[in-house]
Formats: sequence, structure tokens, C-alpha cells
Amino acid sequence: MILSAEYAWVIPGSAIIAFCLTSLFGKKLPFRGIFLPVTAALLGFILFCLIFLDFIFADFSVTTASIDWMVVGDWSLTWGFSVDEISIVMLGLVTFISLVVQVYSIGYMSGDPRLSWYFAVHALFAGAMLALVLADNLLFLYFCWELVGLGSYLLIGFWFEKRAASEAAKKAFITTRLGDVGLLIGIILLFKATGTFHIPSIIHAAQNGAISESTLMWSSLMIFLGAMGKSAQFPFHVWLPDAMEGPTPVSALIHAATMVVAGVYLIARMLPLLEIVPGFLTIVALVGLFTFLFAGVIALVMTDIKKVLAYSTISHLGLMILTLGAGGLAAAMFHLVVHGFSKALLFLGAGSVMHGMNGETDCWKMGGLSRKMSVTSATFLIGCLSLAGIIPLSGFFSKDEMLIAINDGLGPVFLFATLAGVFLSSLYMIRLFCVIFMGRSRSEEANNSHESPPVMTFPLLVLSLFGVLLGLLALPLPLGEFEGFGNFIDPYHHFHISPWITPLSLGLALTGLIIGFMCYGYSKISHELVAMKFGYLYRLVLSKFYIDEFYQWIIDKVVLSTARFVSIFDRVVVNDTGVDGIGVSVVLSAFKARLTQTGKLYNYGTAMGVGILFMAVMWILVSN
Amino acid sequence: MEFLSFSNPTTLVALPILGCLILLFVPGHRPDLVRWISIIFATIVLGISIYFFIFFDLSEGGRQFVYEYEWLSLAGPWVDSQRAISMSVGIDGVAATMVLLTGIVMFTGTLVSWNINVKNKDFFILYFLLLSGVFGVFITYDLFFFFFFYELSVLPMYLLIAKWGSTSKFSSFERTKEYSAMKLTLVLVAGSVLIWVAIIAMFVQSGVGSFHIDEVQAVMPDKFSVEFQSAFFLMLMIGFGILAGLWPFHTWSPDGHVAAPTAVSMVHAGVLMKLGAFGIMRVGMTLLPEGAQIWMPLLIGLGAVNVIYGALSAMGQTDLKYVIGYSSVSHMGYVLMGLGTLSLMGLNGAVLQMFSHGVMTALFFAVVGMIYERTHTRDSLILTGLAQKMGVVAVLFTIAGLTSLGLPGLSGFAAELLIFIGIFQSYEVWGVILGSLAVIGAAITAVYILRLLSKVFFGSAKDDLLNYSDATLREKVAAGVLVGLILLVGILPFPFVKMIESGVKPILLQIVGAG
Repeated sequence: MILSAEYAWVIPGSAIIAFCLTSLFGKKLPFRGIFLPVTAALLGFILFCLIFLDFIFADFSVTTASIDWMVVGDWSLTWGFSVDEISIVMLGLVTFISLVVQVYSIGYMSGDPRLSWYFAVHALFAGAMLALVLADNLLFLYFCWELVGLGSYLLIGFWFEKRAASEAAKKAFITTRLGDVGLLIGIILLFKATGTFHIPSIIHAAQNGAISESTLMWSSLMIFLGAMGKSAQFPFHVWLPDAMEGPTPVSALIHAATMVVAGVYLIARMLPLLEIVPGFLTIVALVGLFTFLFAGVIALVMTDIKKVLAYSTISHLGLMILTLGAGGLAAAMFHLVVHGFSKALLFLGAGSVMHGMNGETDCWKMGGLSRKMSVTSATFLIGCLSLAGIIPLSGFFSKDEMLIAINDGLGPVFLFATLAGVFLSSLYMIRLFCVIFMGRSRSEEANNSHESPPVMTFPLLVLSLFGVLLGLLALPLPLGEFEGFGNFIDPYHHFHISPWITPLSLGLALTGLIIGFMCYGYSKISHELVAMKFGYLYRLVLSKFYIDEFYQWIIDKVVLSTARFVSIFDRVVVNDTGVDGIGVSVVLSAFKARLTQTGKLYNYGTAMGVGILFMAVMWILVSN
Repeated sequence: MEFLSFSNPTTLVALPILGCLILLFVPGHRPDLVRWISIIFATIVLGISIYFFIFFDLSEGGRQFVYEYEWLSLAGPWVDSQRAISMSVGIDGVAATMVLLTGIVMFTGTLVSWNINVKNKDFFILYFLLLSGVFGVFITYDLFFFFFFYELSVLPMYLLIAKWGSTSKFSSFERTKEYSAMKLTLVLVAGSVLIWVAIIAMFVQSGVGSFHIDEVQAVMPDKFSVEFQSAFFLMLMIGFGILAGLWPFHTWSPDGHVAAPTAVSMVHAGVLMKLGAFGIMRVGMTLLPEGAQIWMPLLIGLGAVNVIYGALSAMGQTDLKYVIGYSSVSHMGYVLMGLGTLSLMGLNGAVLQMFSHGVMTALFFAVVGMIYERTHTRDSLILTGLAQKMGVVAVLFTIAGLTSLGLPGLSGFAAELLIFIGIFQSYEVWGVILGSLAVIGAAITAVYILRLLSKVFFGSAKDDLLNYSDATLREKVAAGVLVGLILLVGILPFPFVKMIESGVKPILLQIVGAG
């Protein structure tokens, strides 16, 4: 026993402490306090290694620890941690990526006036995500889930002077928040049915039929909504491309390790529950498949380097969700890790390119950068090929496992649709690489570009090393009881290669590569001509199917109009008519009543006469 | 002077009055002396309210620090009562929480009112009078004095708004401060009439000849028929509901908030609106439990309207104070819904939300006051990019906003979560529907708060806004206290929830017993 997993809470804890100290006192500390978050990240990674070794070489055991957060009557709402295989994997991914990104940021963000705030929020973001993957109950998970959202809000809007950045931050928060409404409703529904937030207890109750079918269906749907929001699945995907307004290392963090994988993680966590609802996984798979293809098509036409990567992330998240929908827990988790490393590599590479290009992001203004930035271009290529799924890089192994899982779980129709996406994936990846790094320089900045400092290229090298080697984890290695990554997550899973799926997918990926290379690398095929031939379709895709415009229209015309209507209704009908109206009518009737006081004797005499007559009549009626 | 002993809740009423009396003799041309005397009194009162919160014996629960002073006794052929009207005070878990809230808002309100220079002596006298009334409502167990203090906390508002308030002009309409002050007072007094009628009815019907809540409560099961309870609970619910911002009787509140000076807005939205919800519990639920059961579905329903309607109205506003005013309407909807669940979760959440919203909205108004003092406008269409020069102010507003939209780790989430669970558990299908509406309300809040943040604080600054200074030390202290509490309740709600639970449990047991 090297380090008990009971101390796993120290990992997020130290990050949160680093956030508090740096954000409060950062300006007064040496190096503006940035060493605190970096130390916390390093400490987190070391602790992860110790826990991991413990898990590999000592007994496998799920460890939990919890404290009461609130106790109301007989219900206790707790903050609890549990360390199992899935959370170990996530811990490793998050601690490592956030450490690498922080080291990289030291170079990338140097000279920014709000440096300590950047590092502080970085720590908060990572800390919230780490607590999320350790949470053993849905309430605490939601707690961290929202804090992750806060971290993304603060980091995307880090350069808040830019209107676009603050708009993007707002969009990200609100879009994910819409999904979170569902998540919270789903969680409370489950609590209502079972009286607990504890995940294993809920799953146990569901498996024993203690939760009614309709509750189960609704809560699954609601929880899935939350996951769709966070993981940017169609139709909640719109926030992710805009989130590029944040500093580029933030994008690396969001796309690889923290924000977007939370949704996939949640689905993976709740998979035993979702499986119970008949037909539900098919919905999950359909959403994933659609997002996979849809975002892949858009990635093909984007010209902004970060936007291509953003749509590629959406697409690959869709692939993970699809795989989970096929029941391929191990394969999806494996791709989550592999994609995380590759995407972090690509984003940090993109940051390095932008660093060398004075912040230019339009890839048509680049070109030929491989001559100036050899390390960046080589590592970027590894990232591209890995995500394209080329043997022997890590993406090949994870893609292969996913395809097998999809074929086993959903059948050949889904498999062939997925294969189309695989082709797209390799096509847009090689397109991005060719346009940026090959050919001739297409602008002044491209001619004068330069390689980034070692503090930035070193993380690239480390990540690309992982991009190459990580795939080996899929194989049963002679390491203690470790029988391949899939088996680690799911004891019934064993690594195998299908004799026809593997060559087919590899062939498709290579075809994509070759076509892309002919289009953009050697100009054998004119992509302009293709774009012109399908002009209408091209513009439709280029404008991202007008989905952002549609949402903007809904916000402007429906939501804000309703709000304006309600506020005018409140002023005119409720206040001016209802409240003031009563006041005015009192005043008016007082004026009218005043008129009866004429001061003329005959008026008063008449009134007295009528009064006496009335009383007499009444007296006669009553006395009879 | 037992009155001023530390563990006597009467101190909370007596000290602000004493402050008023001392201020009366301070010459009006010494504004600084007025300020220092006020802050000293506010600090002492804050200290006492903290004392009650800390030294409340949780293991014992119930009502503590009980004192009673005879005021009027009745003797006659029809009744013989030794305590017809008595100044009978005590503190239970709910009152302790509310007293703490009042102490904090009083203290921070005094701090942010530092720069008032028109007749600041009169201002603080009225301000203290108002707060003494608020404290009185929370601590008294006598219906007569309850009503007395209730009125005492409404009427000074009229002068405070009409004299020190501000008039808002919009392109299409104008709201003068005199109009707002008058509407606020008249609407609240109309509510008071309903309350007073119900109190008198209960006094007569009980036949014990006493206004003391315990005396009435003791005979309540025999004397109050279901019809009686149903009729008069509705009266109380509307009467108190008016002060709590119950839809459709809420319009006095945004206008009043906007017209009032900063400190008065803080007290008004932070504490005064809670008196309504507190009254429903202390008088309505305690004395008319079966009536409560009959009308609670209506309360949850209207609360849901409050939540959604208030949030949408807030989204349609451009004036910062109007946005916050309507958000108060929306948030008080959560309190009403929580009360309506008649469950431990819901009531606990409702009181915690009263506390949380009090602190949060005080922070909101304080921050808007800071902005207004510097820029002389509250129009979100004009303000932009403030964060560049007013970083601390921006952070404070962000914290208040995030609390408002229910971000975990801040007080709003803890309270709203309990309310949500309470609503979901209240009814089988309707509970889920209304609970979902409540959750959606929080999402709408996110929309208007984030729009406001983005519009007012972020983006590039206009040149003429670049001269504004950041928060001063005094402002930072005031806001820091509020932020500290928001974080404390958000991260460690445990002590608060326990405290509140000891107060709501007896009320709830009685209702469940009656059902």
C-alpha cells in the first residue's frame, strides 16, 4: 500500500486551496503566485501516480469517504468521494493535462496583466473537474459540475475587454445551464424515488425495480440532457466553437480534460441506469452519431484553425457518446483518454502556431510553417494522424475498439455510418495540417513566423510521446494484473481485433488522408472547384447550418420579446390598471360622493324625506 | 436596566430606539458625529444579533431567551386574563436566523449610507426606527405587538423614500419617488388591514382574552373551526403575502426598491420582504394550521408564478435597480413555494432562502449604489466595460449574480436545492411540474444576470467611464461581510440548517398533527 485512495480528496482540495490563495493574494506573492497552482497540479499528478500504482499492484478495491454537507430531518446530503477504475482513469487524464497546460501557459501567457487570476481560475477549473470525477453521489457531482461551468465562464471570458470573449463566455454558461436544468431535475427525480443521491445505491435500486418505469425514463432523459449540454452534443453544440475566444491553453484544457468530457463521464457513470430503460441507449447512440457526422462535415470547411479543432472535438465527443450508446464503456473511456491527449497536443500546437504568427488564426493566411516551426509541425502531425486513426498511433487503437463495440452493440447500419465519420475525420485533419504547415507562405506573418520557446515546445513533445505510446495501453501488458485498458475499466472486456472492421477502417482513414493530401498538400484536386460545384451546399455548411442564427432569432424574437411583453404587461395591466386603477377609482368616487354635499336646503330636505319614507317602509315590512 | 442586558432580545428593539433618541440631540450640522454614532450603534446591534445566533442552545431547541413584560391586563365578566397584551419576547431558530440577517443588513446599510449628506441625522433616525420595528416583529410572541412592530417597520419607509429617494425617468414613462413611496405605503397598509382583521378575529374567537400567541394556540384546536381557519388563513396569506411580494400584489416592491436610497433598498428587499414570509409562518401556520393545509397549493402555485413572472420581468428591464427589484420578486417566489410545501425540506429551504436572498440582495443593492455614486446612472444601455476600472465592484456584482442564479458553493444553491426537493416531494405529478418550473426559473435568472454582467461590466470601456475609482475600504468592508456570509452559507450550510430546523419543526409538527 503506497498511498491509500482515501486521500484522493487531497487532489482537488489542493487545487481549490491554490485557487483561493492565488486569487486573493496572487499579486503580492513572488512570480505573482503562479507557482501555487502549478505546484498543486504537480502534487495532484504525483498523488494520482501513487494511487494508480496502488491500484495496479495492490488489491483492487473501491474506496469511499464522505462527510455530511447538510442534514435535514432524516435526510443527509453528503459530499462523498469514491475511487474506482473510471475515476482513476479520469484522475490521470485531468491531472496530467492540467499540469502540462499550466507549464505551457507559463510561456504562452507571460506578460498578461491578469496572470495570477488566470492561473488561479485554471486551478479552480481543474479542481472542480477532479472533484467531479471523484464524486460518489449525484448531488456533489452536480455541485462540481456547476463549478466546472463557472471555471469555463471565467476562462473563456478571461479577456473580458473583448466583446466577443464576454459574449462567448455568456453563451457557454447559458447553453450548458439549459442542459443543467435537466440534470438537476433528473437528480431530484431520482432522489424522490430512492431517497438518496448515492450513485451505486440508485443504480442498485433501479436494478431491483424499486424505481417506477416512468420516473426512470424521465430521469434518464433529463440526465442525458445535462450531459448533452456539457459535452456539446447537437443541438447544444453551439457554445463550444465560440469558446475559442478564451486563451488557447484554456481551449486545450476545456477540450481535452475538463469541461466537455464531463458529459461523457456522466453517461459512463450512469450507464447501468440508462441500460435499464428500454430503448434509451438507442436515443443516446443516435444523438452521438448525428453529432459525430454533423460536426465532422462542418470541420471540413472551417478556415479558423481553432474552429476546425473545436468541431473536431464535438465530432469526437459524439463518437464517444455513440459508443456509450452501444454499451461500449471501455472503448469510450479509452477514446476519451486518447482523444484528450491528442486534442491537448493539437490545441497547444495551435497555440504555438498562433504565438509564432502574432495571434493569427485564419489558416489560409499561414502555409509552409513546417520550415519555420519544426517541433510544432512534427508534433501537430502526430496529433492529426492519431485522431485520424492511423496505425500505430493511439487513435488507431481506440477507434478500433469503438468500432467493434458499435458493431456488437448496434449492428452494421450504425457501423457503416460511423465509418463515414471516420473518413471525414482523417480528411479534415490532414486538410488542417496541409494548409497550415505545407505549401508556400501566404502572408507576411507566415514568412516571419518563428518557433515557440522551449517552455511551450516541451509540453508538445511530451504530449506527442503519449500520442504515440498510449495506444499500447490497449494491449494486455505484462504489468501486474493489468490486462489492457479495456479490461481495467470493464472486467468482461478483452482486447481483440476484428478481421474485417480493422482493415476497413484503416483503409478508409488512409483514403481520407490521401484525398486530403491531393487536395491541399499537392493540389492535384482543386478544392475551390469542388466548393464551387456544390456552392449552395458549401455555403450551408460554412454557415454551420444557420443554427447559431436560428438560436439568436429565438433569443431575440421569442425570449426577449416574451420578457418585454411580461414587463410591459406588469407595468400597464398589473400596476397601472390593477393597482393605480383601484387608487384612481377611490379618488374618483370620492369626488363623485362629494357632489352630494351641495349645501342647498332642498337637496338635503329631499334626501331626508326619502330616508324617512324608506325607513317607514322597512319598519312596516319587518314588523309584519 | 434589564432591557439592555445582553441576553434579552428586547435589547434589539431598545438599542435602535436609544440610538434614535441620542441622535435627536446631536446638532444637525455635525454630520460626521451622526455617522459615527450610527455606526457604533449598528455595530453593537450586529454584535448582539451574532450573540443570539451563537449562544442559541441547539440541543434544547424551541424558544429561548424568553422575557415578558405586562402591558395591559383585562378583567371583566366575560374574560379574565392576566396577559391580554404583553411585550413577550423570545427567540427560536427561525428568529435567530432572521435577527442575524437584520443585524448584518443594518450594519452594512449604515456603512454604505456614509455619503448621505442631506439631513443625514433625520435619515439615520428613521432608519433605526425602521430596523427596531423589524427586530420587534422577529422576536415578539404577542399578536398585538407583532402588528405594532410590523407597522413600525413599514411607515418610516414612506419618509425615507419620499425624502432621500430618487426619481427614475424613462423614455416612455416616469416614476417619481413620491409616487413609489405612496404606493408602497398604501399597498402595504392595505395588507395590514387584512392582517389586523384576522388578528382581531382570532382574538375574539379564541375567547381567552389574550393576544399572546401561546394562549391562542392552546385553545386553537377547540375554538377554530375548519371554516374559520380557512377564511382567515387566506386573509393572512394575502395580507402577509403582499409584503412578501406575492403575485399579483408585488408591483409596489420593484418601484419601491428603485426609488429608495441604497441602504433602504437593502433593508427593504433584504429584510422587510421577509417579514411577510415570516408572518405567514409565525401567525398563519402556527395559529391556523388547518387553514394552512387548505391554502398551501395556492401558495405554491402563486409562488411558481412569482418565480417565472418575476424572472421574465427582470429580463425585460434595463435599469439595474429594476432588474434586481424584479429578481427579488422572483426569489421571494421560491420562499413562498418552500412555505407551501409544508415539509421539513421545503420550510427549511424557505427560511434559508430568506436569509440567503437577504444577504445577496443587500450585496446587489450595495454594489448598484456604488456604481450609481460614481457614474450617476443605472441604465444598463449606457454603462459598459466597468470592470476595467472597477475590478472589485465587478467581482462583487458577479458574486451576487452567481448567488442569484444558484451556483453551488454560494448560499442560493443550498437554499434553492432544499426548496426544489421539497416541491418535488410535495405532490406526485404536480410536484414534479412545479418543481421543474422552479428549476427553469433559475435558468432564466442565469440569462438575465449574465446578460447584465456582460453588458455592464465587460467589453471595452467608454472614455468617460475611465475616471471612476474602485471600491473604497469602507465599501469593501460592507461588501466583504456580505460576501463572507454568502460563501459561508454556500459551503457550510450545516449550522444554519440545524438552527432553522429547530425553529420550523414545532410549526410543522402541529400542522401534521392537525391533518
